[in-house]
Amino acid sequence: MIRLSRQATQRIAFWLISLIAGLVIASILLIVGLVIVQGSGAIGWEFATGFPREGMKEGGILPAIVGTLLLTIGTAIFSVPIGVGAAVYLAEYSEDNALTRTIRIAIINLAGIPSVVYGLFGLGLFVLFLKFGTSILAGSLTLGIMTLPVIISTSEQALRAVPHSFRVVSVSLGATHWQTIRRIVLPQALPGVLTGVILGLERAAGETAPILFTVAAFFLPRLPQSVFDQTMALPYHLFVISTQVPGMPIRIQYGTALVLLAFVLSMNLIATLIRRHYRERRQW
Amino acid sequence: MMTDPTVPEYKIRIENFSIRYSDGVESLRGISLDLYACQINVLFGPAGGGKSTLLRALNRLNDLVDVEEQSGRVLLDGVDISAAGVDVVALRRRVGMVFARPVPLPMTIRQNLFYGPQLAGMRAASSLERLLEQSLRQAALWDEVKDRLDEPAVALSGGQQQRLCLARTLMLEPEVILLDEPTSGLDPISTAKVESSLQELKGRYTIAVIPHSVQQAARVADWAAFFLQGELIEHGPGTALFTNPQDERTEDYVTGRFG
Ligand SMILES: Nc1ncnc2c1ncn2[C@@H]1O[C@H](COP(=O)(O)OP(=O)(O)OP(=O)(O)O)[C@@H](O)[C@H]1O
Ligand SMILES: [Mg+2]
Repeated sequence: MIRLSRQATQRIAFWLISLIAGLVIASILLIVGLVIVQGSGAIGWEFATGFPREGMKEGGILPAIVGTLLLTIGTAIFSVPIGVGAAVYLAEYSEDNALTRTIRIAIINLAGIPSVVYGLFGLGLFVLFLKFGTSILAGSLTLGIMTLPVIISTSEQALRAVPHSFRVVSVSLGATHWQTIRRIVLPQALPGVLTGVILGLERAAGETAPILFTVAAFFLPRLPQSVFDQTMALPYHLFVISTQVPGMPIRIQYGTALVLLAFVLSMNLIATLIRRHYRERRQW
Repeated sequence: MMTDPTVPEYKIRIENFSIRYSDGVESLRGISLDLYACQINVLFGPAGGGKSTLLRALNRLNDLVDVEEQSGRVLLDGVDISAAGVDVVALRRRVGMVFARPVPLPMTIRQNLFYGPQLAGMRAASSLERLLEQSLRQAALWDEVKDRLDEPAVALSGGQQQRLCLARTLMLEPEVILLDEPTSGLDPISTAKVESSLQELKGRYTIAVIPHSVQQAARVADWAAFFLQGELIEHGPGTALFTNPQDERTEDYVTGRFG
């Protein structure tokens, strides 16, 4: 075996790591670039505000855009209060005992469940058992449950990262535990919590399997009127026009992908901006 | 002892007080000690003697720590504050605390100072501002920060931060002030400022302080209590205790033979 000098090992390691990083960046650029090049031709006023026409081969994707927006909002309504509340409980109130250890294991396992299983679960519980039907309500609840683990674990980490000394000082100044959480811990943890929330919602916005059986419609001639209506949604629409409709113009497929990508990436951008904003204002 | 005219009036009476942490160590064993009003009461001794533990028992900050077992009583104005059911929030407003490392809350200087009184329900801007100036003057910080009250508190130097923490405690208008090595990280000039603040404050407050050195203990103590491995070895007037200790272990410590 050849023995390399330390400097040589270091150089090789550096090149390997750079290569890997380069591959990651290259594949992102490739995907985004491909979608932009192929899809930007479709983008236009009618595409964003019109309904699909001619067997979806013409027209716009407004109902899918609106549907994904509604589902994301619905998901947030369910998962943010419950997720952040659970994180506060775990980080601030729970003791280390069998119950909380079980909760933690449950959360970790929930995060690992394939999304199609959430879809089946939502079908069984919300659509059939609770009789919500295939509806925005059932879909939002299903996506909400799928999103919970991310929100809970990132929020809990953010809460725990707030220095213990702040809590001791706050309590020593006559604050109750809850006042300390409200006025010191939560504001300090907010950027981390928001990052977790947005990461979770981003995943929810892009998933197809959980909405497949619970809310998504192949085609609807009008926008949903209530939470008990079905809706079209971007990821499912993309799936449909890529696999279920023969002779679909590629421009429309990539245009839809581009809108979905833009939606998710702009959420990412918002998360980054929030983090930057708070980092600059951080006072410790 | 109660009839001895040279012994001042006590504010806090600790009776046969013991604490054991969940790691099994008995950190305080059968402590009985009076802390006097309008005096600087010094608790000193080598590391791990239980001084901080005792101080935290006086405003129930030990509630935040893993205490396994506790016995005995701590009387504040004759009322046992170590019992269950005590209003700890009200207690902590009466018994304020300054920590070894200054911890400004992540907000402005003014917000730091208003934090306690606002939680206590003080709303009127005029009373808050009056209290703010008075507290900052008492902590010898007014001149240095009066023009920058809306800057982040972390922008202050370490010594200024510590005086801010003292002022923040004074904002509670407490009856007792506990200080756990308040000058341990400070330069001599800042240390002198804090010490002279204490001398002025003792006229109105009961002060219990853990000094960071024997020299400081001897400098500031009206009364001094020497702690060794969870036991109270000796308690007496500062001058007597430092010049003529009764117990051999106290003498060894104050003369620098160990510790
Ligand atoms: N939170 C805690 N959990 C477990 N044991 C503790 C805790 N705090 C203190 N102890 C133990 O209690 C004993 C007394 O500690 P304490 O901090 O009261 O001593 P101290 O006299 O203030 O010492 P120092 O001069 O180093 O500050 C030590 O043996 C310490 O290990
Ligand atoms: Mg200590």
